[in-house]
Amino acid sequence: MTEPIIPQAPEVPEAPAGPYVYDYAASPQRQVVMPKTVPLPSYRTYLAEVKAAAEADEAKWKKMQADFETAKAKAEADGKDAPKPPVRPVPRKDDNDLKAPWPQEAKDADLLLLQELLGAKVEEIFEQAGELTCQLEKGAIYEALQLCRDHEGLRYEMLADQSATHYPAASDFAYSVVYHLTSISRRKRLRLRILVPEGFVPESACSVYPSANWMEREIYDMLGIAFANHPDMTRILCPDDWEGHALRKDYPVVGWGQRDVAFREDRGGMIERIALQKAGQLGINLKQPKAD
Amino acid sequence: MFKNEEMEINLGPQHPSTHGVLRVKLRLDGETITHCKPVIGYLHRGVEKICENQTFFQGQVWTDRMDYCSAVANNLGWAEANEKLFGITVPRRAQYIRTLLNEFNRLASHLIWLATHALDIGAMTVFLYAFREREDILDMNEAFCGSRLTTTAFRIGGLREDMPPGFEKMARKFLAKFPTCLEEYENLLSENRIWKKRTVGVAMLSAEDAIALGVTGPVLRAAGVPYDIRKAFPYAAYAEMDFEVPTQTAADTYARYLVRMAEMRQSARIIQQCLDGMPEGPVMAKIPKILKPEVNEVYHATEAPKGELGYYLVGEKGSTNPYRFHVRAPGFINLQSLPKMAEGGLIADIVAAIGTLDIVLGEIDR
Repeated sequence: MTEPIIPQAPEVPEAPAGPYVYDYAASPQRQVVMPKTVPLPSYRTYLAEVKAAAEADEAKWKKMQADFETAKAKAEADGKDAPKPPVRPVPRKDDNDLKAPWPQEAKDADLLLLQELLGAKVEEIFEQAGELTCQLEKGAIYEALQLCRDHEGLRYEMLADQSATHYPAASDFAYSVVYHLTSISRRKRLRLRILVPEGFVPESACSVYPSANWMEREIYDMLGIAFANHPDMTRILCPDDWEGHALRKDYPVVGWGQRDVAFREDRGGMIERIALQKAGQLGINLKQPKAD
Repeated sequence: MFKNEEMEINLGPQHPSTHGVLRVKLRLDGETITHCKPVIGYLHRGVEKICENQTFFQGQVWTDRMDYCSAVANNLGWAEANEKLFGITVPRRAQYIRTLLNEFNRLASHLIWLATHALDIGAMTVFLYAFREREDILDMNEAFCGSRLTTTAFRIGGLREDMPPGFEKMARKFLAKFPTCLEEYENLLSENRIWKKRTVGVAMLSAEDAIALGVTGPVLRAAGVPYDIRKAFPYAAYAEMDFEVPTQTAADTYARYLVRMAEMRQSARIIQQCLDGMPEGPVMAKIPKILKPEVNEVYHATEAPKGELGYYLVGEKGSTNPYRFHVRAPGFINLQSLPKMAEGGLIADIVAAIGTLDIVLGEIDR
């Protein structure tokens, strides 16, 4: 009696045990790239930038002229032809339909009225792309919202939108919180903005505009800014036990606890493993090259 | 022997009348709702985070998937917000075609609202009729941009393609038959005694409450506030169109039904004007292949079928991605008013209240 020959399956490598990635430095494609600039639109910054650019341009032109003078003097001394005088470079004009909307001085009556009423609590007012922006001191937002709703000359009845942005590269604040108000009766829109540092608790807008309820919960959920005197300051989109705040710039794009195996690699490995297994069952050794 | 006891029940998240995955925690006293709390987030995909990590152009496909019943309206708001950020002027022909498609989309969205709302309340027949007309609109979407639901119809700066040949004929054929279709729906519902019993005086929301809660769209207009962004802050080609903003004063579910039916008539009017006055010319502005903004922040609101759809964008100098991408979804804000509408009403009426808000959970959770 002979033993039936059962083809033995070759050694099959175990599936990777799922190294769950918590150390982002270990996986280069998942590292978070932090922003280096603070893209906060502001008329004051814009003016400073324009001034600095003009000064740099002027200094460059002066240097070109000075270089020309020295080159000319040298050429005369050597008895050669004088070099060409420099031409001031003109900024290149792009032939397209783009016309970047720059910040402009506030001329709108609403902004001027707000500045008059709130005085030093208004940090900055400007207009850009046809939108009115009023930046306030962070403690004065509640008063400003009340004023915008109740003042006879303003009458912004609706808080259309409230949102926040994370600015990790800024030194004296961490978030900007914006309130987009709509006046239905006067057909106007206004943006109020406050800059808050990490850990600051701004006053909730809920008692002035009840629509702020869910929007502030969303800001809390997504960016981690808690609001004082809010009726229900809990997470709204993520589960209650979620860790971290997704819209912060330091939050990675891939979620926590994902396998650190690229799909393509994993699938390739899986196919190879299945092929080896099948071949082993049929008694074929795929690993050995065919002898000629 | 008799006990007064409140009962807590869950409506959803998997319930056909909640139009997706909405969970409503209800506390009942007999059949009366004493407390109502909507719980959302089951469809949260992090659209804002994803769009911040993609280029300006790539964000559009995500806007399709927010409110999938009115993808064109989402595309329009997205495109216009980007154009405002970069300072692009769109050619007039592109504006007209955008307006045309947007109004067709409004018809499709209102039709699906009518169909499902009536189905929730118990009128089955309207569903079949409304989907018949919606099918024609989806065919037109397909003729224009190749896909029916997630359209990705526009580009920053205009359109990718002009209208295909035969599109105008399709649109005119649809417009010729659409008024009779509307009459069919109204014959089935407007004076229907059961429909009126289920909707008149149900889920009231006064104008003051609606404004305080930020509610926009047909729900606000049914409370007597003639606020329509197409009129108040005109965009696309709406400044050149002649149309009315239908309002009602009853502020109940029936009034919202009337407002939406009247709005469909106005949409048909706008489409007719777009077709008749279609200007000639290019459909795409001259813009570079890679867009990099200056430091700027914009909030651009458009009138989506459900209400005010706003995009808040922050541009970073020299970056190809938006620094901040935030969506003010109409459904998200409108759903806040559900407790106000439902509390004090009957348990059977919460289905009408959810239906009348016309919510899509894809845009609420984003």
